[in-house]
Amino acid sequence: MKNWWKILTVLLLVFSVVAGLLSEVPRLAILNETIRNLYFHVPMWFGMILILLVSVVYSIKYLRDPSIKNDIIAYESAKVGILFGVLGIVTGMEWARFTWGEYWSNDPKQNGAAIGLLIYFAYLVLRSSFAEQQQRARISAVYNIFAFAALIPLLFILPRLTDSLHPGNGGNPGFNAYDLDSRLRLVFYPAVLGWTLLGIWIVNIKSRLEILRQRLYEIA
Amino acid sequence: MKLLRILSLWFLLLGTWLGAGATVQAQPAQSEGTTIIAEPEVEMADVLRRDGKIYVVVVVILTLLGGVLIYLISLDRKVSKLERQVKDEVVNR
Repeated sequence: MKNWWKILTVLLLVFSVVAGLLSEVPRLAILNETIRNLYFHVPMWFGMILILLVSVVYSIKYLRDPSIKNDIIAYESAKVGILFGVLGIVTGMEWARFTWGEYWSNDPKQNGAAIGLLIYFAYLVLRSSFAEQQQRARISAVYNIFAFAALIPLLFILPRLTDSLHPGNGGNPGFNAYDLDSRLRLVFYPAVLGWTLLGIWIVNIKSRLEILRQRLYEIA
Repeated sequence: MKLLRILSLWFLLLGTWLGAGATVQAQPAQSEGTTIIAEPEVEMADVLRRDGKIYVVVVVILTLLGGVLIYLISLDRKVSKLERQVKDEVVNR
């Protein structure tokens, strides 16, 4: 059964929805029930980082071994990572509206995420500006490595150096500081794994389709 | 039929979860809203209406998730089929 991980994806996502909505969560002022967004909004970012990491790995693989397959997987996973990032920023804005008061509070992490996404949008633009396949693959692989290297400080280092509304940054405690955190984790980690696997599944399908298209060009 | 197996597994799980939810809900037999006519112990499909109807939201989200996942599974199978066809094409040449 080589598709066991796809079944695992379905199980984890179903579990995270059911347990995410029904399980007991810490009762906190302002957050109220929106603390459950931890199971839905945050996995988007964890998923994005992990899928973009896949993209970087395949970009590096491409530079070491320039095969079309490596390039396709790097590109497709970057696109799915960007999709997760956009969903993360939109869900974050929806959550922020009702807990921080505004969709956009110029929170350092919000700004960092926005800049990071712009850097990745530029990756898509850059890619589409080459007609020649090898040139496109090589230059976008190099850019992809730099984009990932820029994203990490934007999301995980710079927000920590200043005050941020996000937990775990500036003077705010992370979710770890709350009681019942082990119960939160019990749903949170399966949710992260489930959404990440879903992203990888989409990458898997899209890459196979793209590889098929390449084969078709070769045959024709 | 891989899809059928996955689908049946999924529905089985959905069923067990809803069932588990029902039993968990049945335990705290608090008399909520006692203005309702005191018809003792008449079984009704109350599970989906308890706790501020949160179960309805769970069912809706599960339906959405299920729809998206089934779509993804069917895409996966279509691509697999196409891969086999291309492979045969190359071999038969």
